[in-house]
Amino acid sequence: MQLTQITRLTLPRWNAARTSPRLIMAAGLVALFVAVPLVYIFIRAVAAEPEAWQRLLQTRLWKLLGNTLILALAVTSGALATGVSMAWLTERTDLPGRGIFRWMLALPLAIPAYIGGIVHLSLLRPRGGFIPQALEAIFGQPVILPSPIGFWGAAFILTLFTYPYVYLLSSAAFRRLHASLEEAARTLGRTAWQTLWQVTLPALRPGLMAGALLVALDILAEYGTVALLRYETFSSAIFIQLSGRYDRSAASILSGVLVSLAIFILWAELRLQGRARFTQVESNWRPAPPVSLGKWRLPALSLVLFVISASLLVPMAVLVIWSANSLLDPQALRAVFRTGTIGFGSFIWNSVWTSSLAAAAAVAFSLPVALLSVRHPGRISRFISRLCQVGYAIPGVVIALSLVLLVNRLLPFLYATPFVVVIAYVLRHMPQAVRSSESAFGQLSPSLEEAARNLGRTSVQTFFQVTLPLITPGLLAGGALVFLTSLKELPATLLLRPAGFDTLAVRVWIWAVDGFYMQAAPAALFLVLAAALPLSFLLRREQIFR
Amino acid sequence: MTIGTSAALEVQHLTKRFLSAQHAAIKDISFEMENGEMLALVGPSGCGKTTTLRLIAGLERPDAGLISLDGQVLASETKFVPPERRGIGMVFQDHALFPHLTVFENVAFGLRGRKPAKLRAAVSEMLHLVGMESLANRYPHELSGGERQRVALVRALAPRPALLLLDEPFSSLDADLRREVREQVRGILKSIRATVIFVTHDQEEALYMGDRLAVYQRGRLEQIGTPEEIFHSSATRFVAEFMGNSDFLQGRVVPEGVRTAVGLLSQAIGINGSNPVEVALRADDVDFEVDETGNAVISERFFRGAFNVYRLLLDSGQVLHAFKEHTVILPVGSRVRAYISAGHPLVVFRDGQAVSGG
Repeated sequence: MQLTQITRLTLPRWNAARTSPRLIMAAGLVALFVAVPLVYIFIRAVAAEPEAWQRLLQTRLWKLLGNTLILALAVTSGALATGVSMAWLTERTDLPGRGIFRWMLALPLAIPAYIGGIVHLSLLRPRGGFIPQALEAIFGQPVILPSPIGFWGAAFILTLFTYPYVYLLSSAAFRRLHASLEEAARTLGRTAWQTLWQVTLPALRPGLMAGALLVALDILAEYGTVALLRYETFSSAIFIQLSGRYDRSAASILSGVLVSLAIFILWAELRLQGRARFTQVESNWRPAPPVSLGKWRLPALSLVLFVISASLLVPMAVLVIWSANSLLDPQALRAVFRTGTIGFGSFIWNSVWTSSLAAAAAVAFSLPVALLSVRHPGRISRFISRLCQVGYAIPGVVIALSLVLLVNRLLPFLYATPFVVVIAYVLRHMPQAVRSSESAFGQLSPSLEEAARNLGRTSVQTFFQVTLPLITPGLLAGGALVFLTSLKELPATLLLRPAGFDTLAVRVWIWAVDGFYMQAAPAALFLVLAAALPLSFLLRREQIFR
Repeated sequence: MTIGTSAALEVQHLTKRFLSAQHAAIKDISFEMENGEMLALVGPSGCGKTTTLRLIAGLERPDAGLISLDGQVLASETKFVPPERRGIGMVFQDHALFPHLTVFENVAFGLRGRKPAKLRAAVSEMLHLVGMESLANRYPHELSGGERQRVALVRALAPRPALLLLDEPFSSLDADLRREVREQVRGILKSIRATVIFVTHDQEEALYMGDRLAVYQRGRLEQIGTPEEIFHSSATRFVAEFMGNSDFLQGRVVPEGVRTAVGLLSQAIGINGSNPVEVALRADDVDFEVDETGNAVISERFFRGAFNVYRLLLDSGQVLHAFKEHTVILPVGSRVRAYISAGHPLVVFRDGQAVSGG
């Protein structure tokens, strides 16, 4: 809401312009496409047999709800604490090496949490784990280590691979903060430390909380890691109902509850996001001088190094070593490159083409929505824009369930084709494309287009000669984000893929679940590198390097 | 350590160098201020006036020099009092209102350790001062530019600082509002007899707000004095140029005065010999009459409502400006005879330094 207020202040002329009915129609169709799977799940959940509801209410629903909420709460707090402290250390202090740390702290976004989970599990597993074995060899007797299986392991590993969301949002907020805000607090009698707690963090709170809620949504949708660490949440329970027991009404009920929960969180996030945008002031900006860490320099450096090691260096090193091992071993090598009739190249190709197609489609669909919401702010356009954000709140398993049921009924010719997988990616990751496109259009002053018209270009010429070149970087960013997250998407791909259609994510998962870590490593490494490419493009845009 | 003077603020040989170009450096700045005085620091942007302010506030450490307030040393070679312990209020250029706090909470921020009832009374009193009581529960983003300005002012005034610093506080307001807020702020500050340092790059604002003016250029203090002194007896060519829109007419010192392209300026000059000098002439110091054999032509006329400003191109190639009443309208291209009509001594510069005048 606040976003559109800003837009109204800066772009008054466009209010007067008549909204083209074709634009509303296009945006409305996109919204309909996004909304159908969501609405369908609710209908199925409400319409499920009362006995199914009864059965779930009596047995598992409350436990699942408790498990899911506690995990989401723990990971969100962990990610908030880690992300904000890392952002403060790298943006606002004289920490040595902060230029390179800025990159390394953001890069774990390229590692799917379940791959990180596989690495940590193989290192820390109580029986047969690398570290317990090494310790036993050194001390001659078993050493008891905290086990990564269960709640604490899941919370720890998910924190490691989701804190970058908070880190990126909060370091951007720290960078944008006016030096004068903190200086004002100092002249009003606060020490540097009091200023941090009483002014800096409260002033940035909307942005930080928005990042934290994105983490919470991610945890609700997480399947791979919790399944691997045998901690049952809504997502993993729905997955089991769908793939194993094939109880669709139970799955629908669980999905309905899960999505309600997620929509509540998304609603909070959208409100905060609006506030966060409102509070930033752009004129006369001047960076604040870095805080001197003094004697805290060494502890701070160790903390950052621990986070980077656990979330980036160790997983990457292990993947590289395993990959080298499997490439040197002829038998494993054969297995890596040829599983049945399918080769390594086909996993890569399947991953790349489905994710690219999803990215292109999501960006294309986001255009009418973004154009409508930025240039013609109003109740309808706001509603459509909000509706296109619900993908954030629909976990992969729920999208899969909804699509299985819908496609079977309405579009049977699509059933068991890879295109269903692509549709799932588009639905789930649409919000990222919509947000990027909205900000790309938002930064484009309408007077540029008016100037082009004034200089004799038609509206179509104006779009291609002025508008498109200026918004392309923003659209590419949205596409890169969709590509990146689609590449990592596991549960929807597992549930919707036709038999024998393997992507990198699917292959890594299947091999790892069967215990063939070495064999899975080259594919996992390739997946991480493929995800790191669009990620580094995005980070460069964020001006992590200054 | 105390300094045995009656001055409220004392700045001695203040020097600050910057490695990056983020702030302007200053060199060897010295001045004193009385209690209740308003001093305007004025100069082009990047001249170091804001740096001086930040050094006094304690937001930067000086490389050399001394700052003391009411006899207490705030910064010297050996001592540095952090900003939170200086008791100096500051109003920032962008106002720096805390976005997460209401107007009331912003003003209350500097008032700690008071009972709630007393706090409320103190904040209400401050808000009353600027007529903002009804907006106490608003957030900064719900305020207009002028309202933010007033909140920033009373937030800085609330802890009763010994000295108030204002860093271009009106620059974010548009012209009409600026004039209005400026008058209000001056009225408020004078009514509570605040000691104020005020930074601006607008000469008119400096003349209006300051009891005294300090004119800066490239990190140095060119001149400090009352508005009249600065205006009528500028110490350097830069001050005359920056403060007064002066024209500089070349001349040559002769025993009777200064010989220029528009005649002899007969006033005593403190130097000997036929040295080249410049005479600072404002439009009210110059007059002309239509004369076919004159020494200049009218090259442009600017209508200013109550009067006309004529731009005269002298035959010597130099340019002068002259005021005429609004009824005197002469065509561009008319040949005229320009002369100096000032009824007071004029400032004469050699190598940029004043050698006589005012």
